[in-house]
Order: sequence, then structure tokens, then C-alpha cells
Amino acid sequence: MNTLDIAVPQMALLYGLCLLPWLLLWLIGLRLSRDIAISILRMSIQLTLVGIYLKILFRLNDPWLNGLWILVMLLVADWSILQRAGLKARHFFLATFTAIASSILFTTAYLVILVIQPAHYYDARYIVPLAGMILGNCLQGNVIALERFYSALRKNESEYITFLLLGASRWEAVRPYFRQAVKAAINPTIASMATMGLVSLPGMMTGQILGGSEPWLAVKYQIAIMICIFTGTTVACIINLKLSLAIALNAFDVLKEDVIDKH
Amino acid sequence: MTSIIQFEHVSVSAGGKTILSDISFDLLAGEKAVLCGKSGSGKSSILRTLLGLHALSGGVVYFQGKPLDYLSIRAIRSCTAYIGQEPVLGADTVREALLLPFQFKAHCGEQPTEAQLIAALQRLHLSAEILKQESNHISVGEKQRIALARGLLLGKNLYLLDEVTSALDEASKQAVFAVFSDPKLTVLSVAHDPDWINRCDFALKLEEGRLSQVTRHEHA
Repeated sequence: MNTLDIAVPQMALLYGLCLLPWLLLWLIGLRLSRDIAISILRMSIQLTLVGIYLKILFRLNDPWLNGLWILVMLLVADWSILQRAGLKARHFFLATFTAIASSILFTTAYLVILVIQPAHYYDARYIVPLAGMILGNCLQGNVIALERFYSALRKNESEYITFLLLGASRWEAVRPYFRQAVKAAINPTIASMATMGLVSLPGMMTGQILGGSEPWLAVKYQIAIMICIFTGTTVACIINLKLSLAIALNAFDVLKEDVIDKH
Repeated sequence: MTSIIQFEHVSVSAGGKTILSDISFDLLAGEKAVLCGKSGSGKSSILRTLLGLHALSGGVVYFQGKPLDYLSIRAIRSCTAYIGQEPVLGADTVREALLLPFQFKAHCGEQPTEAQLIAALQRLHLSAEILKQESNHISVGEKQRIALARGLLLGKNLYLLDEVTSALDEASKQAVFAVFSDPKLTVLSVAHDPDWINRCDFALKLEEGRLSQVTRHEHA
């Protein structure tokens, strides 16, 4: 079963659909034309470039090139996490990279080598989209974890110092904020797993079905990716927060102000 | 007598502003000292510096003869109770707040008995009934005395007190005075209350981050 192509005139029709929300937003007085135009343009250019790149990547299917692509994804994700979490990249870049790289490589390798078992473990068709999906979700989780944790530590400085003065070790004193941050980071994934199939059909499964896969196969892949997203996000958030503590706190267990971006 | 705390030409800057400048004083074991001065003169900063919350830009702080470093800061924290103007109890109920430190490894197995809890509260003019109350439903004065009771239960002997009698009625204030009449307890406090100032062994007056006057009080 082949997926029907979308021809150029039909693509133009698709872009035309955006006129409806644009008109509605204009009518309610929300002047977002510029932002919407930039976002649609960026999405189209970025996806076109990725399409071209993936086509080459799939054709060459070279393990080094595939590895390089994953490295680029990790570096961009690292930068994006720190920017959005309000932490200075020059201090935390290595810690965040270590956390996301170790968790993504582990979960992707586990999924590809032990579960899917393709003829070549480096097959771009498997490792690039799977690592990308896990990393995309992991990115969101790490932004939430870091942002929540350091906001809580700053907001509750008196409580944190009180814990230290009451005999808590550094770990015991940060633990309440650490737990809250990890919970906030993984809650969306847990909620998403609990309602999957009832509230929405997941994107990857829909894509596979549209691509001609049997629904049963698509379901198995969806379960596999969700478990890997959950595992990868949880592991990355915990490692990232743990490693960041050594950078963000001074020898007296006090938060260094110069490592946090003041917004 | 041995010096517990020694500030030697200590200066502290934060955000490009000098908050303490060339501060020197000694606090001996069992002494009670009070920091006086206008708001923003640096009184609370001295307490915060001692807890390692401000980095020094000059001078040295000694604790029991050792300069402040990551080891001595742990020693200071283990024997110090800090009671701020708005103390944080860190738990939902008063009972949980009093027992909180005993959940940490450092105090594991030292949990006080019910009788010890009540005795600590009564020393500070608080009834046993308060144990059931929620931490955010009690007054500032009660919070300060509960934080003090927690220090007593932990056997702390150095107390850093920031305006600890400001929110108390006369009877509660007398109870706090009685607790600190213990010669084993060393106190470095911030206060405006003349009764408290007069009971201290000496007063350090601060002006714009500088020590302007030291007044020793003779007690009969």
C-alpha cells in the first residue's frame, strides 16, 4: 500500500487553509500575522532542508554520517535546553550534553539493537527518527526540570538554608525541589501514556498508518517509542540535575548567581 | 575563654556594592552580642556572612580558630541555629517542623520524646496544643519561638538571632531571655529592643557597613 503524494497545487491549497485562523485572529484583534508568517516559513524551510538531508542520509546509510547527525541533534538540543531553562551555556553545556547524550544513546541503542534488531544497527531509517523523537521529548523534559529546580531553589532560598542549618546534607537540602522538578518534567509523558489512544492518536502511529503499515505494527512501534521517551527523559533529567548541582552550588552549598541568566 | 567567632577586617561586596567594610570583632564562647544600626547598615549581612551566604571580598572569618572554608562551614552550621525575622519552619505542621531535622542523616536516631518536645515548647512559653497546628496558621512570634525550640532540641550552642523579640509579648520575651541566660549558649543577634540590647554583653553599632562603635555592658 503506497501513501498518496501531495502535489504542488494541493500543497498550495494546504497553505491556503492558514488563511482561516489568520482571519479569525485578525477579527478578534490579535495581530500575529508577522509571527505566523515567520513560523510557517521557518517550518517549511527547515523541514525541506531536513527532507533533503534525510534523503541523502538514507541513501548513503553511513554509520559515521548517521552518528554525526545524532551528534548535531544533541548539540542543538543541549543549547536549546540551556537557553530555555535560563542557565548559562558556558557553565552547563558539558553537564547537559553528558546527561542527554548518555540517556539518548542508551535508550536508542536498547531499542534498535535489542528490540527492533535491523540488519544493520546503524540503519538511518531507524536510528535517526527514533533518536530524534526521544530527544525531542527529552528536550522538553530537561527544560522543565532545570527551570523548575533552579526557580524553586531561588524562590525558597530561606527554606533551603534552614534545611542546611538543621543538619541536612547538600543532597538532603535540595531533595524536595529535585523531586518536584523531576515530577514536573515527566508528568506530561506519564499523562500522555495514560490517555494515548483515547484522547488522541499519536503522531508516529498515525504517520506509520498513513505510510502503509499495519495498525498492529504501528501500535507496537508506538508503545516502544513511548517507553523509550519515558526512560530517556527520566534518566536524562536526573543525571542533568545531579551534574548541574556541582556547577551551580559553591563550596558552601550556596547557589552561584553568575551561572543563572537573569530574565 | 576561647574565641568562637572572629571577624578580621572582613569586607563583603554583592552586586558591585560594598555591604560590609573592614569589620573586626571577637565573640567568645558564652558571650551574647548584639548588632545595632539603621536598616541597611549591614547587621543581617554579618549573620549571613557567618553562614557562608556571602563571599568575602577581603579579610578572614574564623570559627573556633579556623578560617571559613567548606569544612568549617559545616561545623558552623552543625552547631548554629539561625532564627530570622520570618523564620521558615519547612514543614506543614508544628510537630513535623520540630521533628524535621531528625529525618536527616546527621540527626538520625536522636529523635526527641513527646515529653522533650513539650518541655522545649514550655521553656519558650508555648503550649503543647501548638504541636497540632499548621505552620502557616501561627503568628511570626510563635514561629520564631518554634525555631528556637528546634535549636534547643538539637542541642545547638550558637544562636544567630535576627529581631527575635520584636514580635513577642512581655511574657514570651521573658521566656526567651531566660533561655539565653544560659552561660553555655553563645549569641550573635540583631536587635532594636532596648531590653534585649541591655542584656547583651556588648553591642556593635554599624553604619553603612562599617563598625562605628563597640559598647560593653557591665552586668551585676
